Amino acid sequence: MPARALGRLGLLIHIAAKHLLMRRRQTLVAVSGVAVGVGFFLAVSALMVGSQADFVKTLIDTAPHIIISDERRSPPPQPGVAAYGSGAVQLHGYKVRSEVRGIKDWQALLREVNDIPGAIGSPSLSGAVTLRVGGREEGLAVVGIDPSIETKVSTISDKLRVGRLIDLERVQGGVIIGEDQAQRLALGMGDIVAATSARGGTRNLKIVGLFKRGQMQLGSGTGYMLLREAQSLLGRPFIINRIGVKLTDPYAAQNVAAQLERRHAYKAESWQERSADFLGLLLTRNVIMYSVVSAILLVASFGIYTAVSNSVADKRRDIAILRSIGFSQGDLQLVFVLEGMVLAVIGVVLGWGLGYVLMEILGSLKFPISGDVQRIPLDRSSRQYLIAAVASLSAGIVAAWLPARKTALVDPVDILRGAV
Amino acid sequence: MSEPVLVAQQLGRNLPGEPPVTLVADVDLAIEPGKFTAIVGPSGCGKSSLLYLLGLIDRPTTGHLLLDGRDMTPLSGDDRARIRLERFGFVFQFHFLLPEFNALENVMLPIRRLGRLSLEQAEARARDLLGQMGLADKMLKSPDKLSGGERQRVAIARALANDPVLVLGDEPTGNLDSVNSARVVDLFRQLAHEQGRAVVCVTHDLEIAEVADIRVSMLDGRISEVRRK
Repeated sequence: MPARALGRLGLLIHIAAKHLLMRRRQTLVAVSGVAVGVGFFLAVSALMVGSQADFVKTLIDTAPHIIISDERRSPPPQPGVAAYGSGAVQLHGYKVRSEVRGIKDWQALLREVNDIPGAIGSPSLSGAVTLRVGGREEGLAVVGIDPSIETKVSTISDKLRVGRLIDLERVQGGVIIGEDQAQRLALGMGDIVAATSARGGTRNLKIVGLFKRGQMQLGSGTGYMLLREAQSLLGRPFIINRIGVKLTDPYAAQNVAAQLERRHAYKAESWQERSADFLGLLLTRNVIMYSVVSAILLVASFGIYTAVSNSVADKRRDIAILRSIGFSQGDLQLVFVLEGMVLAVIGVVLGWGLGYVLMEILGSLKFPISGDVQRIPLDRSSRQYLIAAVASLSAGIVAAWLPARKTALVDPVDILRGAV
Repeated sequence: MSEPVLVAQQLGRNLPGEPPVTLVADVDLAIEPGKFTAIVGPSGCGKSSLLYLLGLIDRPTTGHLLLDGRDMTPLSGDDRARIRLERFGFVFQFHFLLPEFNALENVMLPIRRLGRLSLEQAEARARDLLGQMGLADKMLKSPDKLSGGERQRVAIARALANDPVLVLGDEPTGNLDSVNSARVVDLFRQLAHEQGRAVVCVTHDLEIAEVADIRVSMLDGRISEVRRK
C-alpha cells in the first residue's frame, strides 16, 4: 500500500513538473522570488544574530560574570533600632554607628565562591587616587588585583596595547593606565608619576602597561595595580571591596548571584542584572528583525501564488480530462499544491546558495575601528538555513493551496462538452 | 439477451433555475456487455448529457444508476472517480490528450494512477495497446505531432488502459475523415464483439448507427425508440 501511495505521488509530481516546464518564464520568476527571499533572509539574520551574539559575548566577557561588592541592597539596621525596634523608647545623644567599608571575612567568601563548580573568584580593592605630573593633576580610579587570578576572571589582559598584566608583580609600584589618559598627562612606558590617595598617602608609580582606548567598562580614568600595593596606597591594608566571579556557564550567573547574596547579604550582581537595559533593547531588535525578515519570505511566496493561480486557470481542460479518466478532486488539488512545493524547494536550494554567497561577501569585508581591523560578526549556523527552508516551504504550500482549491470549481461536464 | 452491466432507472437531470431546464428525463436503459449501443438524436436532445450520467461524470437529479446491481447515485465523488478509473474508458470528439505528455505517457496515465502495475509493466501494457492501434512507431511523439486519426487512436488506447468493461464515446468520429472514421468504428465494433465490452456511443454518424447492435433514439431528453438489430 505505501508503494502504491508513493507511485501515486510520483505520478502527481510528474504532472506538476510537466506543467512547470511548460511555463518556464513564470516558473523562473516564482523560483527567483523565493531564492532572493531566502538569500536575503539568510544574510540579514546572519548579520543580526551574529552581531547580537557578538554583543552579548562582549557584554558577558568585559567584566566578571558576577561582581560581589561591599554594598548591601538594604543597609543593616542601626543597633538602637535592632535593640528597641518599635518600642516606645526615646533615645538622646544617640551616636550612629558607621560601617567600616570593605567585605568582612572575605577569605571565607572567596573560598566559598571557588567551591562552586566552574566558578573562580578574584578579589580586588578599588579606590580613588590623584595622579600628579608636572603641573597637571588627574583622578585615577585605581583597582588593586592579583594578576595571575584576574586574568582567569576577566579579559582585561586582551585590552592592553603595550605591556603585560604580569609585569605588575615584577615592578615595584607598577601601574597600568589607559592610553588616552597617558597621552593627556604626556606619560609613556616606564615613566614615573606621583599618586596621592584621599587619606594623604603618596607614592611614585611606574607605568608598565597601557590599555587600548574605547573599551566599554574600562573608563579612561581606570588603572590597575597589584592588590598589595593598592591596599597600602589607599591606606586600607588587608581590605578588599570587590570579588569578581567568572563561571564556565555565564547563563547560570543569575542563580549563583542570588544564592551568594542570600548567604552573605553583600550585593552580588550578575551580568544580566547589570545589562538589563541592553538585553531589553536586544529583545526589541529581535522583534523588528523577525517581522522584517518574515515579510521578505511572505512576499516571496506571492510569486508562487500567482504561478499556481495562473496554472489552475490555464489547465482547466487538463483538469477535466484527468477527472474523466478517474483522477479524484484530491489528486488534482495535490498536483497544484505540489507545483507550489516544487517551486518552493527549488527556490530554497537556490536561495541557500545565494545566502551563502552573500555571507561570504559580508564576511570578507574589513573595517578599521580604533586601529584594529574588525570583521562583521556573522552567525552562519545551519539553524538559519533550516528556519529559512521551513518558513518558505510552509508559505509556499499555503500560497499554492489557496488557488489549488479552485480546481474543485472546474466542472468536467462543461469543459468536455464545449471544449475546443 | 445477456445480463446488463449498467442499468438506468428513471434517470433524470435538471439544471436548476426558474423554471428548471430538463436535460434528461425518465430514462430507463440497460447496457449489455458484448453489445454496441448507439445513442442518436438531433442536437440538444440530451444524448451527451445521458452519456455523462451513464459514465459517472455527471450526477443525476432523479432516478438511479446501477453498476453490476450496485446503486451508484449515493457514492462520493472519490468513489465515483475510482470506479471511472477501474471500469470506464472514455473517448471524446476531441482527442483530449494532455499536451505536455507524449503518446506513451498519455496512455500510461490511467495505469499509473490505478497503481496495480509497476512502472515497467505499465509501460509494456501501454506499448502493447498502442501497437494494437497501429501506432508502434509513433509512441514517443507528442500529441501535436500526430494526425487527427492517430490522436483519436491514442485516445482509444488510453480509454482501454485499465481494461474497462464499459467504453463510452461522445461523437468519437465527429472530427475525422471517412477513412479514419471507418477505422474507429471498426475498432469499436471489435471492442464489443470480440472483446466482450459494453460499448456506448453518442453519434450523428449514420455509419455507426448502422453497425450498432442497439440503437437508442432520443428526443427532448427522453428515449423515443429503442431498436435492436
